[in-house]
Amino acid sequence: MSLALDGLLAIALVVLALQVVTGASLFRSIVMFVVFGLVMALAWARLRAPNLALAEAAIGAGISGALLMLGYRRLRAAGPEATRPGPRSSRLAAPLSLLVAGLVASLGWTALGLPEALGAAGAAVVAAMPSQAVANPVTAVLLVFRGYDTLLELAVLLVALAGARAVEGPAGPADLAIPTMTGLPIVGALLAALVPLSVLVAGYLLHAGGNAPGGAFQGGAVLAAAGVLLVLTGRLVPHPVPGPVERWGAVLGLLVFSALGLVMLARGQGMLSMPGAWSIYLVESAMLVSIATTLVLLLGAAPGLRRGPLP
Amino acid sequence: MTTEASLVGLVFLPLLAACLLWAVGQRAPWLRQGLVWLSLLAPLALLLAPTLALTTQPVVEVVLAGHAPPLGIGLRLDALSLLMLWLVAVVGAGAGAYASFVEPPGSDAGTRFWPPWLLLMAGLNALFLSADLFNLYVAIELVTLAAVALVAWSGKGAALRAAMRYLLLAMLASLAYLLAVALLYAEHGTLDLYLLARGVAAGSDTTRIALALLIVSLLLKAAIFPLHIWLPPAHARAPGAVSAVLSALVVKGSVYLVYRIWFWTLDGAQPALVANLLGALGAGAILYGSIAALLQSRLKPLVAYSTVAQLGYLMLVFPMTATVASGALAWKGVIYQLLSHGLAKAALFLAAASLLRGIGSDRLVDLAGASRRFPLSVFAVGLSGISLMGLPPSGGFLAKWLLLEAAWIQRGWVWMAVLLLGSLLASVYMFRALSAMMATPGDDAKAPVGAALPRPVPWQMDVAAVTLALLAVIAGFASAPIFELLNAAAPFPRVESATPITERALP
Amino acid sequence: MSQAAIYVMAAAAVIGAGVYGLLVAGHLLRKLLAINMLGSGVFLLLVALAGRSGGAPDPVPQALVITGIVVAVSMTAFALALLDRLFRETGQARMDVADDDD
Repeated sequence: MSLALDGLLAIALVVLALQVVTGASLFRSIVMFVVFGLVMALAWARLRAPNLALAEAAIGAGISGALLMLGYRRLRAAGPEATRPGPRSSRLAAPLSLLVAGLVASLGWTALGLPEALGAAGAAVVAAMPSQAVANPVTAVLLVFRGYDTLLELAVLLVALAGARAVEGPAGPADLAIPTMTGLPIVGALLAALVPLSVLVAGYLLHAGGNAPGGAFQGGAVLAAAGVLLVLTGRLVPHPVPGPVERWGAVLGLLVFSALGLVMLARGQGMLSMPGAWSIYLVESAMLVSIATTLVLLLGAAPGLRRGPLP
Repeated sequence: MTTEASLVGLVFLPLLAACLLWAVGQRAPWLRQGLVWLSLLAPLALLLAPTLALTTQPVVEVVLAGHAPPLGIGLRLDALSLLMLWLVAVVGAGAGAYASFVEPPGSDAGTRFWPPWLLLMAGLNALFLSADLFNLYVAIELVTLAAVALVAWSGKGAALRAAMRYLLLAMLASLAYLLAVALLYAEHGTLDLYLLARGVAAGSDTTRIALALLIVSLLLKAAIFPLHIWLPPAHARAPGAVSAVLSALVVKGSVYLVYRIWFWTLDGAQPALVANLLGALGAGAILYGSIAALLQSRLKPLVAYSTVAQLGYLMLVFPMTATVASGALAWKGVIYQLLSHGLAKAALFLAAASLLRGIGSDRLVDLAGASRRFPLSVFAVGLSGISLMGLPPSGGFLAKWLLLEAAWIQRGWVWMAVLLLGSLLASVYMFRALSAMMATPGDDAKAPVGAALPRPVPWQMDVAAVTLALLAVIAGFASAPIFELLNAAAPFPRVESATPITERALP
Repeated sequence: MSQAAIYVMAAAAVIGAGVYGLLVAGHLLRKLLAINMLGSGVFLLLVALAGRSGGAPDPVPQALVITGIVVAVSMTAFALALLDRLFRETGQARMDVADDDD
């Protein structure tokens, strides 16, 4: 029974992938992409990777989908011809892609038959887990064993934001057209329910990430989603000058993680070592703020945000 | 300051400076100036301790978070990494100083320019220190994103298109890289370059194919012919200081990784056919790039195609390892080429940018009279040309001479012919550029069509260019200490496999 | 066919679809979608292969993929900002990557 489920998910993934690349309109492709991400999350759950499933759903499907959708809308606002699908060229595409798929499939098939690696990193992590301050092995890998990767990844997130500002030029980004019906009472009610709930869920994911599936990335993405909701309904309006929350919030994770790491280096305990569970939660909390802030600023394409006029 | 702290500082100083720059936004211009200058100059000081350390030991390893590979991520410094870090520090300081006159850190435009620049520097340092394949992937992405943002800085349509093409191809290359990582992890369970080396000899075809895929993705990122198409538009349309860093440092990072994989991870298992193929691609790059440079009518694209050509020399080390003697010479030759091309090309781009700024156009026909109006800039062009053409006593000369010697020992006549032809072609296009600058403007010289307004060129910008070019020229004199460093940790002759840290012993 | 094999084959197909999308798409937004899908396929391959022996789940590939997803999102966000500016400056949101439009 369970393999049948995997087979179904696999077929769904392939069908959705084809829908994304051959979709009649851009909008349809983006929607299919979001659905693809959600089915991927199911696949991760089947592959016993719940942290990954949460991350894929929140970031891979949710945030990526929102980014693409907002990007699509911004293009449409800039000019209606911007999003018209054009003639498809390249007779080389189908044979080449079949060739690539075939090569990857055969490589993968061969790799499936290889024996398990000796002295693998994964086995070492599992062996080292009992002595760690957190019980979630993925969190341990992200924050303790491979914390340097996570730190550099925060830098990548920052450079995406800094790069977007650099590329937008002195005039700043184009205005994001806000829909006009945001004064409806139902919108207010929706926000009153969703935003506090999102904050709660984000906090839970952060706290739970130590010993159960969850973590700063997943929590940060949920918080960012709440932020984007506020931007899209006009409760937060873009502002050309970033305020202190936007400025310090975006770099808080990097600053706290690096500062802690450097202090540990100065005390002779090794750069980026984590002296206890408190350090992991501290860094993850700072990361949550940064991830949420950076993602909201990227999604809203706004250097800064201010509270909007009450409807 | 301990070696470990210095190495950590190389990555974290620019990283934290970028964070602080971002956090203060448009306030405190004096603080922003200070942070940028600190980040430009501090690496030169930070590198002293590691350099001293390497005179007594061949390798310095930094254990992060108290966990060594395969559990954690390894940072490893040897002679090759140290030389690359020096190149980053010197070119970064020179090009950064130049850029600080174009986009002062205290200005509004500066708040948008300098965070990506500093993150780029942090990423480069992280790349040259890392020994873990996935960590290298993240560092490469950091460098790529920052570089693309800076390429698109001018906001002109052509620059934006060049940046987008660069981004798309870089993302494609990264995905091929990750595919290789997936296969390697499946077989070996580790991503450390040196631990992988132990498994490669006993590894299956999957490992070899994965490593080949890894190398191909890196060749695309390094713009090695025929995967070079993104480079000329991107390097030609970026601001001068950015082009300098792109040609001198960013593409070199990918070449450096190819060397690591070929000589350290693939240790002893390198197939001769592939080595000759890589050499052939290098020869193609040299010939194609030089001829394309000759055909350009504007200076910056000429310099960009020259980069394509000069990168080809770096591929010639692979077929020249048939004997131990030729291999040692070829290795030293390409390292020297890495360093002197970095310095000379950075200088050339800075000087070209000065001319563009001062004249308003970089079309060769519009450069007439530049030698009188902008003598320092033209001087920098000439000096860097000495190294690019391979004239003594420059570093470029030493590099090409060593490669020629290696080819001679090996009886590789084709390679010798390519090397000589390459130098000849380089001379032709450099002379073409210089003679355009030394020409007297005709009486009917009109203002350049569609040109920008000429702007004054501060002397400090010219000094930056001339300094870098001078370093390239006198690099030939500094060969003794560099070769001594290289001998300690060269892949030739190979006595034993990559030295592991004691903690890395497999259970 | 084991669970890992099913997902490995699916990953190969998704990667193929991504390559097809990249080659066939003229619009840059479609190219971005294709690249994101390519990335998802590679991540699926990484985790599926690492778990092929069916033992305890290996946390390292999972952590690597989480990092990879965040990097991919960063790239997408930046690419969209670049695309927006590109369209505003040139009126074009399409690109043929093999073009040399010097």
